[in-house]
Amino acid sequence: MSRIGVFVCHCGLNIAKTVRVSELAEFAATLPDVVVAKDYKFMCSTPGQEMIVNDIKQHKLDRIIVTACSPLMHEQTFRKVLTASGLNQYLLTIVNIREQVSWVTHDIEEGTAKAKALLNGAVYRARLLAPLTSRVIDVNPNVMVVGGGIAGIQAALELANTGKKVYLIEKNSTIGGHMAQFDKTFPTLDCSACILTPKMDSVLQHKNITMMTSCEVSEVKGFVGNFDITIRQKARYVDHSKCNACLSCTEKCPGKGTSEWDESLVKRKAIYIPFPQAVPQKPIIDKESCTFFKKGKCRLCEKACEQKAIDFEQQDTFVQVKVGAVILATGFDLMDTKPLVQYGYGKYPGVYNALEVERLFNSAGPTGGKVTLRDGSEPKSIAILHCIGSRDKNNHEHCSRVCCMYSLKFSHLFKEKTSADVYHFYIDMRAAGKGYEEFYNRIIEEDVKFIRGKGARVTQSADEPGRLVVEAEDTITGKFIKLPVDMVVLSSAIVPRADARDIARLFNLSTDKQGFFMERHPKLAPLSTMSEGIFIAGACQSPKDIPDTVAQAYGAAAEALTIVVKDKMELEATTAMVNPASCCGCQNCVRVCPYGAPSYNAEKRVSEINEALCKGCGLCASVCPSSAIIARHFTNDQVLAEMEGLMEF
Amino acid sequence: MVISFKQIEEKLKTEAKRLLGESQVSIVLAYGKGYDENHPMPYVARNPSDVDNIVFNEYCNYNLARYLVRYPAGTKIAVAVKAADSRAVIQLIQEEKVKREDLVLLGIPVYGMKNPKTHEIIDGKTTGGLYNPVLYDILLGDEVHGQAIQSPYDVLAAYESMDKEARFAFWKKEFDKCIRCYACRKACPMCYCDPCFIDQTKPKWGDKSPQSHGNLMYHLTRFHHLAGRCIDCGECSRACPVDIPLYLFHKKVAKACEEMFGQAAGMSIEDKPALVNFRVDDSDKFLE
Repeated sequence: MSRIGVFVCHCGLNIAKTVRVSELAEFAATLPDVVVAKDYKFMCSTPGQEMIVNDIKQHKLDRIIVTACSPLMHEQTFRKVLTASGLNQYLLTIVNIREQVSWVTHDIEEGTAKAKALLNGAVYRARLLAPLTSRVIDVNPNVMVVGGGIAGIQAALELANTGKKVYLIEKNSTIGGHMAQFDKTFPTLDCSACILTPKMDSVLQHKNITMMTSCEVSEVKGFVGNFDITIRQKARYVDHSKCNACLSCTEKCPGKGTSEWDESLVKRKAIYIPFPQAVPQKPIIDKESCTFFKKGKCRLCEKACEQKAIDFEQQDTFVQVKVGAVILATGFDLMDTKPLVQYGYGKYPGVYNALEVERLFNSAGPTGGKVTLRDGSEPKSIAILHCIGSRDKNNHEHCSRVCCMYSLKFSHLFKEKTSADVYHFYIDMRAAGKGYEEFYNRIIEEDVKFIRGKGARVTQSADEPGRLVVEAEDTITGKFIKLPVDMVVLSSAIVPRADARDIARLFNLSTDKQGFFMERHPKLAPLSTMSEGIFIAGACQSPKDIPDTVAQAYGAAAEALTIVVKDKMELEATTAMVNPASCCGCQNCVRVCPYGAPSYNAEKRVSEINEALCKGCGLCASVCPSSAIIARHFTNDQVLAEMEGLMEF
Repeated sequence: MVISFKQIEEKLKTEAKRLLGESQVSIVLAYGKGYDENHPMPYVARNPSDVDNIVFNEYCNYNLARYLVRYPAGTKIAVAVKAADSRAVIQLIQEEKVKREDLVLLGIPVYGMKNPKTHEIIDGKTTGGLYNPVLYDILLGDEVHGQAIQSPYDVLAAYESMDKEARFAFWKKEFDKCIRCYACRKACPMCYCDPCFIDQTKPKWGDKSPQSHGNLMYHLTRFHHLAGRCIDCGECSRACPVDIPLYLFHKKVAKACEEMFGQAAGMSIEDKPALVNFRVDDSDKFLE
């Protein structure tokens, strides 16, 4: 015999509008073992919680059913109420009559009937619930940050400053990310390098940060508090422990590769550092462009190196790292606009994408900061085409958020560095951010021309060879226009990294429709993911500007800290367990588990479940042919009782 | 092409004798004499002298893979397998019930097997329609070629043309005949659960008396437990004393699985059982 208390929440009118709540409470009172049933306007409020506490004492309740919103919202709230009253927290049942009932109907009859059915099932199940004990595990105090752009740098510095050890993983040979490619940042137009390079140096100097460049995560094992991550250190062919960064090797190198850093606008050496302020200042050899790797002789760099740091035999190595939490700050890619043939990118030399233009402006860039076309001449007229690939049902539905602002920045810099006429082709101008509208107004004053209409096509001018013609509809005048220009800039979409899905798989994350990492909750948990202990920051979650990215990095660092600041953590007790006596060793559980919790003990010929990895989803229990797996809190008896209760209606 | 059953029988005997004689295996699963020609029986040869009792004729339908799971793990077994039987072995290997290295597969390429009740040739209507074993170590005869390739799913056309109500009425009528002898379960190479869900008492999943609702529960659950695992040997239907066309439902589910996961049961030991394998790129067509 259990003593059940049922507490029906109105949720203001959210529930009460389509469920007769007092009737539901009266109905609950008639159900077996229900000792007390009440309804109240906001059960989650302090008076609501106190009501439950008092009733537990007064009526000696041992099972609590709260019919309210989704357990995702307030399960923890009410569990705490039970714990405070001396009851085991797993004796709580939440019946979701908001998301699953009142919000999906307008019919109060239907709503009330469904709420009764769900409650009836819950009462049947609650009678069979058993108290469960949470397990406590040790927490590794270190954190890994994946991605060495501004988000990763900021998060790593914050964590390191709290005294935590941080591993910063970067796949390129330098940290800095996209921000290091920019010359100026909107809306303040402060110099990107001036605000970023000191931070890059702080990372290098910080005693708590282990910076790992030319590295990629290859395997993730473990769980929140105890991740066991394998890092692939890609062969650099330069022993960085010997290299003293004199860079005499790069002077002698005859090899020519395409500079990834300068967006393929120029060539670089085969042994190189991407840009003069790179961190670390130590070169790597690009196997593809190295004369020795291609032809078998050369080795000029080796002769130039006094430190004997060149090592052509170097192989990829694997490093094991143990951490308690992970922050993913893997950034974004710029959409490849070559497939959008109407804009002629890759076909006409006068068409540039946004990152190429960033490099043209940069004083450390391929032109030393001068804006010149590929033939060396200065453009006299420039068109900036907004929303290329973004806000476009045929490509990417999302708004890339920063293009309006960087396009405005471009026009300012074009005006500053050339005497060209600058035209914007835009759908509408999005300047939502601190100082953004003001920046927009400032640019309007600078004799920049705004044409409201999306650039439809870029063609070659028939009359003037080498010039381009932008075609668009000016939606203000309603006229179709053809504008001859020398240079076209495509403000192309910001898209997830090409390998974002692989990274998501490694860390067990979901991705959204566009392929960006999915947050746990768009408003209330934007930096957490559905994988405990994995956090996201910056443009890997969605396109965002530097201020938002940095803010997220601080937030993610704080989130990671909430885990690693503790020595121990409690694990959810609703996990699955194997009864070894009935396990037949089929390993269905091992194959079906998305979290890798079950493993096969070949010696004992039975499966075993690592409770720390188990999320309690119950897949293993449902595929177990011998019913050897018991999903705690959702045992066969409990689930069948609930179904029986549901089906009485 | 004429299949000589006598020749296959001779080769089966020779190989069985050799394998037992050289102690490569401790048992040979094959066919032996029954109460008449039309009813041979599964036979286990343990000594070279037992081999003379082995027979093979067009009525040797039984899927001998059924018996593999009866022996303790690690027992070295030689087993005679026809096309569908070899798929059952593969599926059992996928499900970790037997190990490839413990088995010697004596493959039998054959067509023209007959149903002992009707004496009709067994074809793609009630089976997967294959003639050659998918996996074998020793082939007892030449591979069968030149026979028309039958789609195992052609027979579903009439069934699929029925609407939901008609299908339910059809199965209800068929299942009402069921006497709960569990011959289907006994004949099936993939029905190895111990205890079977229907024999469990806590919770009691279904009624065991031969009545309509319990029959429905038993058969529909068994069908779903075989989803993605049925290798279409048709033995359940042939074993059924009241002729319930169980193969129809199994084929229907197999077809759906093949379409969704791009994999038919028991075709490769590299595969993982489709329904208990978590893959990020699994089809979620059914959600749309």
